[in-house]
Amino acid sequence: MRKLMLVLFLLVSISFIFAGGADEKSQAGSTPAAVEEVVTPDTLPRDQTLYWNGLQWGSINGYNPISDDMNNFVVSRQAYGTRITTFETLYMFNFLTGELVPLLADGPPVWNAAGTEVTVKIKKAAKWSDGIPVTAEDVAYTWETALKVGNANGNSNKPYIASVEARDTLTVVVKPVLNAEGTPKNRLMVDLYLSQEYVVQKAWIQALEAKTGGDGAEMKKDAAENVVYSGPYGPYFADDQKVVLVRNDNYWGQDASMWGKLPAPKYVAHTIFSDNAAGQVAFKSGEVDVSQQFNSNVQDMWLKEGLPISTYYEEAPYGVSGSIPTAYFNLNVSGLDNVNVRKAIAMAVDYDSIIANAMTNQSPTFEQVPRSTMNPTPGEQGLYNQDEIAHLQFVGNDIAGAAALLDGAGIVDTNGDGIRELNGENLSFNATCPNGWTDWMAAIELVAAAGDKIGIEITSLFPEWSVYQTVVTQGYQDQYEIIMMWTDGSSPTMPWGRVRQLMSSEYVGTDGNWSGNWGQYSNPRVDEIIAAIPATSDPDELKALYTEANEIYLTDVPSFGLMYRPNCFEAVNESVWTNYPNAEDGKNIPPGDLIHGYSIAGLYEIELVN
Amino acid sequence: MKHLLQQILQSGKFLTGFIIFLFILLLMIFYPMINPGDPLQTISIGTFAPPGTYVSMYDALDTELNVFKLDNAALNRLDSVLKPEDRVEMIMWFESAGVKVDVTLNDTEALLAAWNEYYDSSIQPSGMTKAKRNYYKRLNDNITRMLATIPKVIAKISEESGELVEVRQIKSTDYINTNKVANVFNLPLGTDNFGRNVLKELASAIKTSLLIGLIAGSVATLIGLTLGLVAGFLGGLIDDFIMFITNIFTVIPSFVLLILISYSIGQEQRGAATVAVVIGLTSWIWTARAVRSQVISLRNRDHVNLSKLSGHSFFRIMVADILPYIASYVVMALILQISAAILAEAQLSMLGLGPKTTEVPTLGLMMKWSMLYSAHLNGYWWSYFPVILTIALISFSLNLMNTGLDQVFNPTLRD
Repeated sequence: MRKLMLVLFLLVSISFIFAGGADEKSQAGSTPAAVEEVVTPDTLPRDQTLYWNGLQWGSINGYNPISDDMNNFVVSRQAYGTRITTFETLYMFNFLTGELVPLLADGPPVWNAAGTEVTVKIKKAAKWSDGIPVTAEDVAYTWETALKVGNANGNSNKPYIASVEARDTLTVVVKPVLNAEGTPKNRLMVDLYLSQEYVVQKAWIQALEAKTGGDGAEMKKDAAENVVYSGPYGPYFADDQKVVLVRNDNYWGQDASMWGKLPAPKYVAHTIFSDNAAGQVAFKSGEVDVSQQFNSNVQDMWLKEGLPISTYYEEAPYGVSGSIPTAYFNLNVSGLDNVNVRKAIAMAVDYDSIIANAMTNQSPTFEQVPRSTMNPTPGEQGLYNQDEIAHLQFVGNDIAGAAALLDGAGIVDTNGDGIRELNGENLSFNATCPNGWTDWMAAIELVAAAGDKIGIEITSLFPEWSVYQTVVTQGYQDQYEIIMMWTDGSSPTMPWGRVRQLMSSEYVGTDGNWSGNWGQYSNPRVDEIIAAIPATSDPDELKALYTEANEIYLTDVPSFGLMYRPNCFEAVNESVWTNYPNAEDGKNIPPGDLIHGYSIAGLYEIELVN
Repeated sequence: MKHLLQQILQSGKFLTGFIIFLFILLLMIFYPMINPGDPLQTISIGTFAPPGTYVSMYDALDTELNVFKLDNAALNRLDSVLKPEDRVEMIMWFESAGVKVDVTLNDTEALLAAWNEYYDSSIQPSGMTKAKRNYYKRLNDNITRMLATIPKVIAKISEESGELVEVRQIKSTDYINTNKVANVFNLPLGTDNFGRNVLKELASAIKTSLLIGLIAGSVATLIGLTLGLVAGFLGGLIDDFIMFITNIFTVIPSFVLLILISYSIGQEQRGAATVAVVIGLTSWIWTARAVRSQVISLRNRDHVNLSKLSGHSFFRIMVADILPYIASYVVMALILQISAAILAEAQLSMLGLGPKTTEVPTLGLMMKWSMLYSAHLNGYWWSYFPVILTIALISFSLNLMNTGLDQVFNPTLRD
């Protein structure tokens, strides 16, 4: 027996030694350059580095700008401002003012008189990181590639953009898809295209095609480690702990025709935190400069803890609201197909509590900004006639009103179990959002609580995001009944895009639906309005259309907004860098974490704390 | 029986544990009586109102006044906004703004005079961060407010003209007696992230958690006891089979099993009772093994053999001849199971696999939401620390009672 144990012990020890040895060997096998890099990113000089949190979760897959699957905060198309540290767009969207600011483009886009094409000039100074000038050919070829490989750029713009051509080296002509009258089907989408899509170097794409044999799927899979880019920062280091970009000191943007100088930080880095709490600890201690996390009660950081932290606005809501997280009623579910049930639930929810509790007041209330399909920004609010639909704009927590509505519709509790019935069935629903999305979870809890008060049983359900997203984006699902999803943030297409997202029947029954109308609402009149708005330029007509759309939205209640939310959160810790854009500086640089669209201008403004 | 009780109550450990437990029970029973209503009701808008006494400002305005001339009132008022570190910061501001003043930290009057003279929010000293400038602005607002001796005016909006009409003036010497204000209430433990009264929620959560413990403990003990009795008494193939199953469960970590079962049940079905049963179903193993070995040592005793010879049924032998001998052990095991089940619920809830929220509060759910709102990072101690303390005390008291009982019943441990 003892011998047997000895033999066993020896075997185990030997296997451990082998395992350890193999490990060492594999490390020695990698290139010496990689070993060197592992050292440097750990010792980034703090006074030359800007750190983010809340933009990157998990390690990156690569830097490929024609792929949608890089899980890389650098490669991220956003309607409210594409991230342009590494790859650049023709225009930068400023969600504060709604303007398109030229980046690679020279001057504003010029429409011809007939409205059949728009011309964009490329800046002479614009160059790629390998020194080759950016040309119109690059823009045209990027579009061709987008169509060929079928990425998000191609798929989402194809219905609106007929062609992107190079007229000469520096002139791009974009031809929109025209409708029967010979006018552009949707001008707004052309503006979105110009400010949202990266321009990628033609030569680099061709090299990639040669490498992959031109196979679209393979091209999208490529990690593109040696990618050519035009932005101020290029890839430097990435692992499962952080992603670091380094400034390209030959960046074309230091030309007087653009920024006139280089951005202040030599490195920009994103530490990958395990969760919000870890990110918050790092942010408070000054290890993170710009936080795109939801920091609950952010004001406590300076009021109570005296930390050198500030936000765009000094007072609540601290940021610029851009989207409306919304609960969609699943109309495939019996009970929720009844408008009175929907409206009663929406009326009973205590939105003030949601905003105070879930958003810790980082949102205006529905009394301050009455509910509609519009953002709280003055521009959007002015686009509809508020007086006309004021009687429909419920403010919430109206238990008596909701109960009366249900009683009036004959939806009552007949069997005395405390739950109302409709057609003999108890009204019992689940309300759902992804697990771990704290503010959403709190909102869903308050929706569930509202149901209890009016005799409708609502239980909260928090599946993991991976499960949640598969179910919600299905063309038909009756698993989730009250579904929390977002509306897109500010963009050149808003608020038309939001009306479409909330109510357009084009999304009904489509699988892989990431676009909107997750409750499968359908109304022919709304579809007409959605088609008419982008072709309308008369302000009065436009206002009438938006007002009617909102009237239908608030009458049919296919979904209801729960709060207003910024496009992105931004709080800055001024331990190392200061002079971040804020509401008082009069520069109109939006609080977009110095990375989204025109907010990148902030990188040229910040300076070191003395 | 009387003697037994006396013995138990003489055990210091048992008594201490019992008193702690009783205290928790009293809190659970009496607090909801003093403060009835739904424990999950949101009472405050906003998150984490700190513990303290809250006085309705609206009602206070209509309360009868008393005038007090107190020497230190102005000083207290100033101290509430001007901490020593603020004074240092004020001097720092003079320096960075390039203002030459000759004041010392403790000379409050001179410091404030200089501040009022020189501070200007539009000055932006170079290198001063936005956060710092905001700080000075707030400090200045506070100082100006606190130094003002002019009365404050309460006005109401006239229904006819829509203009402001003065209702009353409040001077710095006006006081009210809080006993006379209509709405004054105390929140001993403040509110949580949903704006609920934490103490009320805690009292209700203790009830749920004890119930979960009791159900889970009973289920586990019942299963363990039955299997142990059958296996130990019958022996042979049945014993082998039961032990085979038990051994399989022994090597599977029960918490992993618990997680898997809870996950597959799905959130909608996970009420407090379901979770309790699941916990019970995964924690019977050690009871079964221990009962079995005790029964094996009992089954060949003379009185058992006598019963067998008398033709008594299996059931009767179990109840009359075996159970009384292991009853003390089973009770102690039950106590430990209860304590373990309460902890298991807390652990499950922290993982998001506990009972669904909004129906009943449990200790685990209270901690989970505190954690989701980073209460531990932001210093909202009242939302999680009392919960942790309660769990610890319940567990501690139950274990203490168990040890006390052990000392009484276990001959080898008797003093």
